[in-house]
Amino acid sequence: MTMSQYAAELCALLIEDQFGDLFARIFTTLQRYERLPLPRLKFYSRLTERQLHHGLAAMIQHHLVFHFTSLEDGNTYYAANPQAAYYLIRSGKIIHLVESRLGEYAARVMETILYLGHVPIKHLETLPDLRYLAPAAPNGLVKEEEPEEEQEPQELDTEAGEETNGANGDHAEEVLQKPAPLHSTLKALASHGYIIRVKDAHFQSPEDNYIEAHKAASNRSDIKMLKGKRLTEELLQKTEEILRERTDGDLSEGLMVNGLPRGVKRKIANGTSESASKWHQTDHNGTNGNHADDDEENDWSEDEDGFDNIPMEPSLVLRVNYEKLDVALRNARFVEMAKDDAAPATAEVYETLLRRIEYVTKRCRDTSEIPREGEEGEQFSIPIETYKIVSDVDPHLDLSGCMGPLNPASASVNRRGKRPLENGVNGDNHYEDEDEDTVDDDVSRAYEINQHLQLLEQAPHNLASHVRLSDGIKWRVGFRGLARKLRHLELERLVEMRYGDVALRVLRVLHAKGKLDEKRLQEISLLPFKDLRQTLASMQAGGFVDLQEVPKDAQRQPSKTIFLWYFDPDRVCSSVLEDTYKAMSRTLQRIKFERNLRRDFLDKTERSDVKGNEERWLSEGELEQLQRWRDMEAILLGVVSRLDDMVAVFRDF
Amino acid sequence: MASRVTEIASRLYDACLERFEADHLFYQQDLLALDVIPKGEIDLLLKCAQSLVDQKLFRLLQGANNRLAWKIISRDDAEKLQSLSPDESLVYNVIHSSGRSGVWVRNIQSRTNLHKSILDRCVKSLESKNYIKSVHNVKYPTRKMYMLAGLAPSEDITGGAWFTDGVLDSTFINALAGVIEYKVSTQSWYEVPAADRGRSKRIKTATGMAEVKSESEKTFLPYPANYSGYPTIEWITTEVNKSGVTPVRLGEDSVIQLVQMLCFDKKLVSLNNGLNYKAVKNPVVVKAGFNRKPAAEEEAGSPILGLGKNGMTEAPCGSCPNIRLCSPGAAISPETCEYFDPWYEKVLGF
Repeated sequence: MTMSQYAAELCALLIEDQFGDLFARIFTTLQRYERLPLPRLKFYSRLTERQLHHGLAAMIQHHLVFHFTSLEDGNTYYAANPQAAYYLIRSGKIIHLVESRLGEYAARVMETILYLGHVPIKHLETLPDLRYLAPAAPNGLVKEEEPEEEQEPQELDTEAGEETNGANGDHAEEVLQKPAPLHSTLKALASHGYIIRVKDAHFQSPEDNYIEAHKAASNRSDIKMLKGKRLTEELLQKTEEILRERTDGDLSEGLMVNGLPRGVKRKIANGTSESASKWHQTDHNGTNGNHADDDEENDWSEDEDGFDNIPMEPSLVLRVNYEKLDVALRNARFVEMAKDDAAPATAEVYETLLRRIEYVTKRCRDTSEIPREGEEGEQFSIPIETYKIVSDVDPHLDLSGCMGPLNPASASVNRRGKRPLENGVNGDNHYEDEDEDTVDDDVSRAYEINQHLQLLEQAPHNLASHVRLSDGIKWRVGFRGLARKLRHLELERLVEMRYGDVALRVLRVLHAKGKLDEKRLQEISLLPFKDLRQTLASMQAGGFVDLQEVPKDAQRQPSKTIFLWYFDPDRVCSSVLEDTYKAMSRTLQRIKFERNLRRDFLDKTERSDVKGNEERWLSEGELEQLQRWRDMEAILLGVVSRLDDMVAVFRDF
Repeated sequence: MASRVTEIASRLYDACLERFEADHLFYQQDLLALDVIPKGEIDLLLKCAQSLVDQKLFRLLQGANNRLAWKIISRDDAEKLQSLSPDESLVYNVIHSSGRSGVWVRNIQSRTNLHKSILDRCVKSLESKNYIKSVHNVKYPTRKMYMLAGLAPSEDITGGAWFTDGVLDSTFINALAGVIEYKVSTQSWYEVPAADRGRSKRIKTATGMAEVKSESEKTFLPYPANYSGYPTIEWITTEVNKSGVTPVRLGEDSVIQLVQMLCFDKKLVSLNNGLNYKAVKNPVVVKAGFNRKPAAEEEAGSPILGLGKNGMTEAPCGSCPNIRLCSPGAAISPETCEYFDPWYEKVLGF
């Protein structure tokens, strides 16, 4: 994968920020000269052998450097892995995601794996940080006992759990000592696909892997028999197959329970009785006082009693699966889009659907590059049955209260403080009697969920689409279309900020209609000529629209030339992506600069005796200054992370 | 003899006036059928017609199959025409023939074969007598076009309902667009009746901007997907014409144009292949948008971004005009950047 100037600059900055000068030196040398054997690398980087060996070994540990030993000449070549370098910036987001899905402890495990690059399980077992549920920090105590409280009762029988739960509040000390469920956490992470097994091929660049796979494929006896077109076809297919086999470290197989990964926050249990007991449980939890949302924390041991006793293979080496995490992050963006202009309940139903889809989606797309617009076909997710969504969605979610009636006229006729709901027969009862026939209830809920998703299927959302099969309606998501929608949203936000809403209209017209001359453009956009020309000119200067000249004769006189305006989203996207990289690295450089400005002061705050005891050793003015610096650094890093969201949209989704 | 011709001619003219409409094209047999010419004398008819044409009471035209045909001219117009010089009447006829679409000066020249200076004089004198007027063509703004003073220019020339004096009337368009958006919006969202409101406190409005908490405010809910009551073009057209915002009656075509513009603004969306239209925002938000706009412009500086923000719109680098030139160590560099400090001030407040 070749990288542009700004992307390379950014990767080097990130590595320098994270790992220091030595890594950055090696990395930039490799980026500048691409693949190098050790002697050349040593020559170009001007590092000593010792430094290089140490550096490379550690960088390989972090997957920042690919290495490949050629069988032909026996040399080992090193190459930079810009992808891994870039993902350093996303680690915060990843940890946050894992925390919201699987709880604080899982986030800590994830953080450790991210921090170590790749790691065998037996090493994780020895880490003191992961041994207990609560981290060692003294003031984290109160907060951290929360997951534990949830944890314990659910490991036992739910009925018995209530007692323990009630009594649990004052056992903070014991809680701390309780060994953490490392293996079940790892299993949860693995079944979500967030972590994968490290394979040999992961240390080699994708190109090398491809070439090797190609060689292996062409050496196969059944391939050798073929000729001509069939040979190339078969070869391609086999190569892909071998490649997939070699790089696929998926661990989720066999860990899924009923199509759901372990550790999922189950909002509803399957049977009626169970759901009833869950009800009670949450009630009790509520009286316990110290947690706002009951279902929030990790309760994975709930329904996997048998599996839990089998630990994971200790020699298994793990790493983070960025591909899958991108899928999860992308879905989060889709949900955001739904939240923007749909009712919260609708968005929640959508989120549930997307969660189901996430479990079976391995990566954001099959091609390595985003295809050109207009040339990419739609790629649909696996369709999900409505009943699965019904079982996943929060049973307390008020589905019926946020949609108008189908027929407002009849609503006004019998409005007695109660309006007939869209599903007439049993929708209203929902409020009054909770314990009505559950089958009926399920049917009506399925109906309501279908209603919500249908609303999302319609314009202006177009977020889902349905497939009608003989056994009912299934819901799926068209990933490519939505990814495109996200890209355009980001572009449009930029255009709106820079050129105003008039420009936005012009851009959309051009996108919808293709190439247009000014007159036609005016007719459609209904803008005065003056405004239109100004807008177009400034957008052209900014590189958002382009002008094509079509001369009527060979002289190419301007008076006899047709000028057509057009908008090329691919070109604009790639240039905005470059600008985003650049903005990110400039912001990082600014942080460095600001830190240098305050170096003496910051050195003082980082002294081992001052750190942690700031209030004791620093004057009031200094404390204020420190606070300011922290705010400033936070906001700059926040900007970088927001820019990363855009990169994800333009590059990864 | 001459007086007899005049007399018959005037009788013929009166008969034509009675029998034919102003724009009717009539031929020889039509005139003979009027039974004014004694014994159907062709000779006499010829003389009469000629005299009427001379008096500008008849206009000579070429009908189908190259036959001669006439049209009547009202006496008032005829008086006008009689006062014209031959050149002027030639020009007048050309302009008259172009009807409501007007005619370009250069086309008059080629049709009349008059010299440019003579033509200019004729046009000037006709204009000063208020017989013709110059019109502005939207399609060819540089061309000088003329048409009879009494006619209203056709839509081809004016560009439709959206042009005033050949210029796109953006204030009118925006006002009308606002009306349409609001009208459609009232039909696209279900307003929860007052009695129900207490129960639906949790529900946010669609944009998520205004959370409806207080009892006095209105709550709007989206209709289910198969709801079919969204406005159609016809409905919008009648509503717009009822509203009294427009001085003239708008046709459906003009309304479609405007509605499509609103779709490009993502204020409306079309459903069922353009059969129905639905407003994206609910009426309260739409109204709030109108009220906010002028105030925001007064404030200036921070434009309202309807689409929300992203990294590039927030970061100082995103709006930097010189990002292309920026690099460490150069004249414009992250170290010397002057946008960061004001930005800290703005976002952090120091």
